Amino acid sequence: MLEQLLIFTRGGLILWSCKELSNALKGSPIDTLIRSCLLEERSGAASYNYDAPGAAYSLKWTFHNDLGLVFVAVYQRILHLLYVDDLLAAVKREFSQVYDPTRTVYRDFDEIFKQLKIEAEARAEDLKKSNPVVVNGQRKQIGSKGDGSEGKKGRAGGGGGAGLKNDGDGKKGDNKSENNRFVANNNNGSNLKSNGGNNVSVNGKENDSVNNGAFDVNRLQKKVRNKGGNGKKTDNVVSKAEPKKVIKKNRVWDEKPPETKLDFTDHVDVDGDADKDRKVDFFAKEQGESMMDKDEILSSDSEDEEEDDDDDDSGKNSKPDAKKKGWFSSMFQSIAGKANLEKSDLEPALKALKDRLMTKNVAEEIAEKLCESVAASLEGKKLASFTRISSTVQTAMEEALVRILTPRRSIDILRDVHAAKEQRKPYVVVFVGVNGVGKSTNLAKVAYWLLEHDVKVMMAACDTFRSGAVEQLRTHARRLEIPIFEKGYEKDPAVVAKEAIQEASRNGSDVVLVDTAGRMQDNEPLMRALSKLIYLNNPDLVLFVGEALVGNDAVDQLSKFNQKLADLSTSPTPRLIDGILLTKFDTIDDKVGAALSMVYISGAPVMFVGCGQSYTDLKKLNVKSIVKTLLK
Amino acid sequence: MQQELEQWKEQVFHLWNVAIDYLRQVPLNQLHAFTIVLITTLLLYILRAWKRTKSNTIVLTGLSGSGKTVLFYQLRDGSTHQGTVTSMEPNEDTFILNGEKTKGKIKPVRIVDVPGHSRLRPKLDEYLPQAAGVVFVVDALDFLPNCRAASEYLYDLLTKGSVVRKKIPLLILCNKTDKVTAHTKEFIRRQLEKEIDKLRSSRSAVSEADVTNEFSLGVSGEPFSFTQCSNKVTTADASGLTGEISQLEEFIREYVKP
Repeated sequence: MLEQLLIFTRGGLILWSCKELSNALKGSPIDTLIRSCLLEERSGAASYNYDAPGAAYSLKWTFHNDLGLVFVAVYQRILHLLYVDDLLAAVKREFSQVYDPTRTVYRDFDEIFKQLKIEAEARAEDLKKSNPVVVNGQRKQIGSKGDGSEGKKGRAGGGGGAGLKNDGDGKKGDNKSENNRFVANNNNGSNLKSNGGNNVSVNGKENDSVNNGAFDVNRLQKKVRNKGGNGKKTDNVVSKAEPKKVIKKNRVWDEKPPETKLDFTDHVDVDGDADKDRKVDFFAKEQGESMMDKDEILSSDSEDEEEDDDDDDSGKNSKPDAKKKGWFSSMFQSIAGKANLEKSDLEPALKALKDRLMTKNVAEEIAEKLCESVAASLEGKKLASFTRISSTVQTAMEEALVRILTPRRSIDILRDVHAAKEQRKPYVVVFVGVNGVGKSTNLAKVAYWLLEHDVKVMMAACDTFRSGAVEQLRTHARRLEIPIFEKGYEKDPAVVAKEAIQEASRNGSDVVLVDTAGRMQDNEPLMRALSKLIYLNNPDLVLFVGEALVGNDAVDQLSKFNQKLADLSTSPTPRLIDGILLTKFDTIDDKVGAALSMVYISGAPVMFVGCGQSYTDLKKLNVKSIVKTLLK
Repeated sequence: MQQELEQWKEQVFHLWNVAIDYLRQVPLNQLHAFTIVLITTLLLYILRAWKRTKSNTIVLTGLSGSGKTVLFYQLRDGSTHQGTVTSMEPNEDTFILNGEKTKGKIKPVRIVDVPGHSRLRPKLDEYLPQAAGVVFVVDALDFLPNCRAASEYLYDLLTKGSVVRKKIPLLILCNKTDKVTAHTKEFIRRQLEKEIDKLRSSRSAVSEADVTNEFSLGVSGEPFSFTQCSNKVTTADASGLTGEISQLEEFIREYVKP
């Protein structure tokens, strides 16, 4: 049954809540929905799952953009109620007729709601009866088998009626790992598959796209919280059945192993080398101020001219046959300004925007979800007079982009460093990322910046795999005149890091910057090693280093990193990625979309931007200029 | 050159004579009426320009969950209706404060409740220039876990150009004081001062991504205190749920004259 149905304004006042269903909701699902979904521009998704101790809710919502109202329905996740979407639409219709901006009490709506609920349930029953293959009578089974969030067995029991016919549907949902898992370890095979099939058909295509590749960090965090209980509840894990068991062998170029040892690296610092280098070294201090401390000056003159061009372009993109009629009516409407925006009106403008975003190197599915979210927030809104649809869409998209790129929490690292200093612990930063993104270079840049602010920095060379990595860091340390902790090659990075932190607290360093080896997100043993490093040392900041040149892979990288860090960690509260360092920003002219993809998919703020290869080339992300560039 | 000037002078004289002749023809009453209308419009214009410097807007801001929307509705309607959720958009309205509805004809106050969620912070910049006063709402119950975030927000507010230049008065309102475990306003004030002091040193040379701390706070070398701010900072207690908002109403009335 429905747990609760709320109607509230966008400003936050609850206008109506169903009095009959007055079960108190455990936790605060509505607030979490707003903070993690609607304000994160994920309002195009079909539903949102919320887990609190003792309850697992699913939330569905709809907007009335013209009046600024939000309608939210909360129900238990194990009940796949079919009539919720229907009911929400009906409630929206009826309430908008009753709504009055000056009224705050709507008790007379109770009756209307009761009626609507009965109608919606009846319609759902009819649909069920006429379509026994697709839809299954789960509600009957819930009473007998379901017990709260332990839905595994409950699902096994449900679906007894449909039988073998549903195998086809079950196969359809093969992106849901739940299906595979249940198939692997159940005793009522066909029943489970049917449930999986229902999952797919009931929640529709949008839910698939939500649960598919794109990774929802919040769901992950919830999943992580319930790890002790039932980690298989949420169904967004990749559909791989067994983990890859790949052991990396040393590369052998010829048939016979090399006879002469050509690798002369040893971790003992030879004095002779130091003397030689010191003569050629120039100390980094004279390089000037790091660009982190400089403000960017925006040029605002070019803004207006650009906007006109864009409007023309998006106008041209609309369908050619409807062009003439479209132009006249849109001109008329733009002057009169009374049209209610329909989805079909928004489509051409949104499609143009999505294409533009994709040319700016935003990952495809991120652009898609963003456009859906903007559409959800504009549907039904009245156009202000003398505005065209394209400009309304543009403004809405701009606001959405600013909202996403604005950090959710403070990115003041210096403040955190000072706080850690007071507690007499070193502040540990771990740099993770795939191969070749610039971790070591940017680590040196961050060290340079911290040095400028009178912070004692120490480097830890935990990249014990790549040849020359330790020497590289050693060179940086010498130029910056900071201590470095290294143990050479072929050592366990987690242990090296641990010892480095102990050394740091001994010699009074404020910050420890830990460099790790680059690794692909699919490589299971390496990800496990990284997870172990993070678990063992509990760093204060896990910084994901990503290059701005990456395209659609950014989504995959970040989501898999987060996922692996959560899955392979042995602690109850695993650490996820806390911040992003965007590198090679100077190589992309205006294709700045990678920043958006990364922030959207992980929710972590961009803390630094690397824009060159020398020590001073480190900036902060300028949200307004990025948004301007994205929409140009 | 001189000839041209002379010609020009003659033309002006000629026009002047024509105008005077015309005016003489117009009946006197009309002339009087016209001048009176002209003078009144000019006076009204000047008065309005003068009055415009006195705004009637109060901005409610603070962290998410501190109780701004509840206070907004208490001020307006005297009750919190059926509760609130996290605001996604600012609430603004011009009304007569609920406690003063019986006093007869008073000038209405415009109150703006800006969402506290960090992603919606830029909305504050739209309303600050018009503000006659800012109320920073702090959750007195759940203060210590949020102390850092609250002091960062407060620091940003106190160093914004519009606040410093116009010396906008700030009220730190400790909300939820009806609960037993709520902290006192003196405690909160001291904690905030300490935190802002720490922030001053770490923010002295660094600027945030978009929002620059345009001014620095306090006197260097001395621990920070709210008395060192150029705009007036006061503290008060309130309880949104029970309706105990008298101190808030006093503050509002102090800066928006009835």
